[in-house]
Amino acid sequence: MPLTRQLVLPVHRTLPWGVVGMAGVAGLLLTALTRTGESAERLSAYLLRAAILAFAVGLAFLLDDPARHTTAAVPTPRPVRIALRVALAAPAAAAWWTAALLLVPPGVRPPVGDITLEAGAACVLAVTGAAAGVRFTEVARPGLPVAGGLLTTAVLVMLFWPGRWALFVPVEDERWAAAHDRWGVVLAGAVILGAVCAVEPLRRRVRF
Amino acid sequence: MTTVVEKPLAPGIRNEPGGPSKAVLALALFESRRLLTRIPVLLAFAVYLGWTVWRAGRAWGDYPALQDADRATQNAPMLVGLAVLLSVNQAALRSRRHDTERHFAVLLLPHWCRTVAHALSVVAAALVTAVCVAGQFGWEALRPGAIGQGSVGELLVGPLTVLLSGLAGLLMAGLVRSVIAAPLLVVFGLFLFAFFSGTSDDASRWLLPAVVEATSNTLPSDLMGRPAGWHALYLAGLALTLGLVAVLVAGGRKPAVLAGTAGALAMTLVGGVAQSGGDSPQLVKARERATVHPEQVQSCVRRDGSTYCAFPEWGPRVGDWAAVVDRVRSLAGGGAHEQDVVVRQRVEARYGLSGDGALTPLERPHEVTVGTQWGGNRVPEFSAAVAGVLIAGDEKAATSICDARIIPLMWLAVGWASEPLDALRRVRLDDSITGSALVLQPTDGLSMTAAQTEVLRALLDLPRGEAGARVKDRWRELTAPKVTAARAAALLDLPAPDGEDKCL
Repeated sequence: MPLTRQLVLPVHRTLPWGVVGMAGVAGLLLTALTRTGESAERLSAYLLRAAILAFAVGLAFLLDDPARHTTAAVPTPRPVRIALRVALAAPAAAAWWTAALLLVPPGVRPPVGDITLEAGAACVLAVTGAAAGVRFTEVARPGLPVAGGLLTTAVLVMLFWPGRWALFVPVEDERWAAAHDRWGVVLAGAVILGAVCAVEPLRRRVRF
Repeated sequence: MTTVVEKPLAPGIRNEPGGPSKAVLALALFESRRLLTRIPVLLAFAVYLGWTVWRAGRAWGDYPALQDADRATQNAPMLVGLAVLLSVNQAALRSRRHDTERHFAVLLLPHWCRTVAHALSVVAAALVTAVCVAGQFGWEALRPGAIGQGSVGELLVGPLTVLLSGLAGLLMAGLVRSVIAAPLLVVFGLFLFAFFSGTSDDASRWLLPAVVEATSNTLPSDLMGRPAGWHALYLAGLALTLGLVAVLVAGGRKPAVLAGTAGALAMTLVGGVAQSGGDSPQLVKARERATVHPEQVQSCVRRDGSTYCAFPEWGPRVGDWAAVVDRVRSLAGGGAHEQDVVVRQRVEARYGLSGDGALTPLERPHEVTVGTQWGGNRVPEFSAAVAGVLIAGDEKAATSICDARIIPLMWLAVGWASEPLDALRRVRLDDSITGSALVLQPTDGLSMTAAQTEVLRALLDLPRGEAGARVKDRWRELTAPKVTAARAAALLDLPAPDGEDKCL
């Protein structure tokens, strides 16, 4: 435990705060658009979703660590280091999300609990993608491919996801509640997958 | 005695005539190949092509109007554009990401030349898109039922969108050296793509790459009023500006580049101002004339005694209309069997493409309206209008039919179809084949009661020849005004209906 406490500062310094910050600012800009007029207000749920996507793209870079190969030998296991990164980023993400929600005019704000579930699922999915990148490849910065994958997934889901299992539903839609049950499943799946991917493999793949 | 003959040595460095431009070209080829094989770009092209092919296979589009088909090529390339944006940005930041920027310092090519090569790779992606767009439009144009003409300006929008987004990604790489910039730009682009495809009604909608129309009204191509050419100029100017600014940012501050940027900016401004001009007075007048006095711009042909008047572009459609009129008349009895009709093509053009005004029924005897679209539901709808005119005398009288004359009318309208029940379902507003419903026509609709529907269904269940003979035998009584459904059933020797027989 004291070892972990000593790690806080170095890990904090290697976190890609600039990238996450830029993504956060972009997300807040998108949510601020809801205050620009009546037609923008009607789109508030979608603007909020675009903001979530922007922030999740930023979080995909969370596990980028240029020093990955030199820190592989430290005694603290990888799940702890990843958990530490996530724990450091979580308060920032929570603060960002609060600010984003407050930027949306109260009258047109989607149900807070449900939209928070969507945001949580998207962010966890992004970090899980990054953890999978770390787990299954040797690259030090899996962020960019993971961000690309996240965007591609978002586009493909928007275009081709069958309506029976709709995820992106408008607020007044009767499928809203069912859709958020599905979002819960997505979140749970992402958390489990992320936990599995965070474990360091016992053996490194040997390449010649 | 010996002599030494000295040959001049070949210089180690040759100044080739093409110099850096040849190297830029080689690099552009390499970057193009790399760009076109990135996973996002491949995936985007796969989705784009798959979606386009799937849509082209639908049964409805057998009779495309090419002035609409050109616009249908515009939206999907945006997806490719977003993928190219991401991939070009990654490619331009590649040497920085891998920390190989220093190695390039020893090469012939300065940074701005490498930016030019990246820009040329975007041009390659746009050219591939252009081939796809040409293929899609060519496929539509080669259909036997295609009419009208496409506009080059509209067709250019797809490739120019790819060019524009790719060069925006390149400029982003020059301005913000962070890998996150392009993905965030894609999120903004996605949002625009999904919700602001220019659906609003003012001039500012033309600032976005693809401008879609809210309705699916088909107009003659000279009444479209879409500034497609200016819009293409605007997009090309904007793309060039972005590309040249990217070169400027990368350090290529040559006079030619500066002049080019100024020229591109001027192009953008000219296109942008010209495209927002709105409808010209001549266009408004021409639309008014085509709507109110179509006979002034139409040409008429006679087939089997009937007259077919169409806008010039719809000339090839006359054969399809005549076939329907012939079949409807062949089912009719009495004088209607020989009755000649005047088929008049009409369109509501006064509100442009975004308005979808209804046509009022004609009052001249035996004159029937046909719209500008054909295929699918439009065929039984036209057939119902022809039958109405044969039975009631004119369109106005036909739309106010409120008795069992609707039974022979609908028999004429759908009885000749290969699947009469399917045609009946398609021509009724609620897609039902039982109960009361509204029947669609090119002008105002007709209404059927539940009892009339029942009798018609019983008639359609008979063998075709048998049913046709019964209708022809009793034609005069069946088409007399104020006949009831029960009386019509008795005349046709069918069981009496027990449904409601009061029209709306």
